[in-house]
Amino acid sequence: MSAPLPLAESSSAPAMLVALSIGLAFGWCLERSGLGSARKLMGQFQLTDLTVFKVMFTAIVTAMLGLFWLSWLGVLDLDRVYLPETFLVPQLAGGVIFGAGMALAGLCPGTSCVAAVTGRVDGLTVVAGFFIGVLGSGVLLPSMQRFYLSTPRGGYTLATLFGVPQGVVVAAIAAIALAGFVAAERVERWRATRAAEVTS
Amino acid sequence: MNGPMQLRMLAAVAVVLALLAAVAGSPNRATSRSTSAASLDAASLAREIEHEEDHVTARELAEWIRADKPGLRVLDIRSDSEFATYHIPSAERMSLPEVASRAPAAGETLVLYSEGGAHAAQAWVLLRARGHEHVYFLRGGLLDWMEDVMNPIVSGDSAAHFSALSRYFGGVPRAPSGAPGATPMLPAPSPRDAAASAVARVRRRGC
Repeated sequence: MSAPLPLAESSSAPAMLVALSIGLAFGWCLERSGLGSARKLMGQFQLTDLTVFKVMFTAIVTAMLGLFWLSWLGVLDLDRVYLPETFLVPQLAGGVIFGAGMALAGLCPGTSCVAAVTGRVDGLTVVAGFFIGVLGSGVLLPSMQRFYLSTPRGGYTLATLFGVPQGVVVAAIAAIALAGFVAAERVERWRATRAAEVTS
Repeated sequence: MNGPMQLRMLAAVAVVLALLAAVAGSPNRATSRSTSAASLDAASLAREIEHEEDHVTARELAEWIRADKPGLRVLDIRSDSEFATYHIPSAERMSLPEVASRAPAAGETLVLYSEGGAHAAQAWVLLRARGHEHVYFLRGGLLDWMEDVMNPIVSGDSAAHFSALSRYFGGVPRAPSGAPGATPMLPAPSPRDAAASAVARVRRRGC
């Protein structure tokens, strides 16, 4: 039921094929962007290489504009795009753990798979840790169910939070992203000149 | 493909699309229609009821929960104490007034259940009248859930499937009582876990 395009119901073979091809395309784009290397993410934290920020924000803006306009044109049913429910505190806690893991590993779930299939040992290690973590939290889930389901907000979006139309949120996010890209380029150039000064 | 010219072009396209989005109105006409027209269209509701599009069966609901159907929310409209005794896994407790005052949310599929089914069916009408699109009630309520999911009689081609479905929820499937070979076909787990004892409790209450 998650297939928003009128292709197929989920769990049918066509839907699985669509999912597989989207996944392959996603992985290919990550690899081509160079995100299979943990050095890229380290560059992000050291402000020398903001590729991760730029790639991710580009993806967000592309997907957002695509969804908005495809839905507006009636090609896609936005109601059937799965909106994950918000559980405020547990998700904040999860975000902190996720961020710590990402900084430690230099990879996130998607890029760790890309790193693994390109034969990087650190990628394989992270994927292994990832599955152990999934298994562990699955086993522990019953005991932390109270926390897991606390502070529920339902399907919560920026548009509901600010009480503005979705189109306005789309425009605002795109503006933030473009300003972010300009700032990111400046930061990279500033770090590059500083590095040059230090070495010379 | 990576020249500065192309990048500028792409950025310009993004800016134009984003600015137009701000004034394009709702991307989803279906949603805005259903929320603005929060009036009771009795004729269309009657048609839905007649075509039995208003409810799910216990097994359908079980399949939905197991498949993690996107946007699915199972609402238990019985009392707190009944909810504490036993509830369908993943269900949230919500009182009838709370249910009735809920605004529709995009992408949500609501399934309501009560002990038998009458209260949930009434709540279904309230929610449909408020513009909720995807709302169902559990036919036969929790009693059907106990009968058809937690302690089902399984036979025929789909026996293995429904047994697995039942055990997924901690249920104890049974073979038909008159079946040849008297039941060791489905080794029933001992009723040690909470779900099984809760089933026993609810059954004792006289359903």
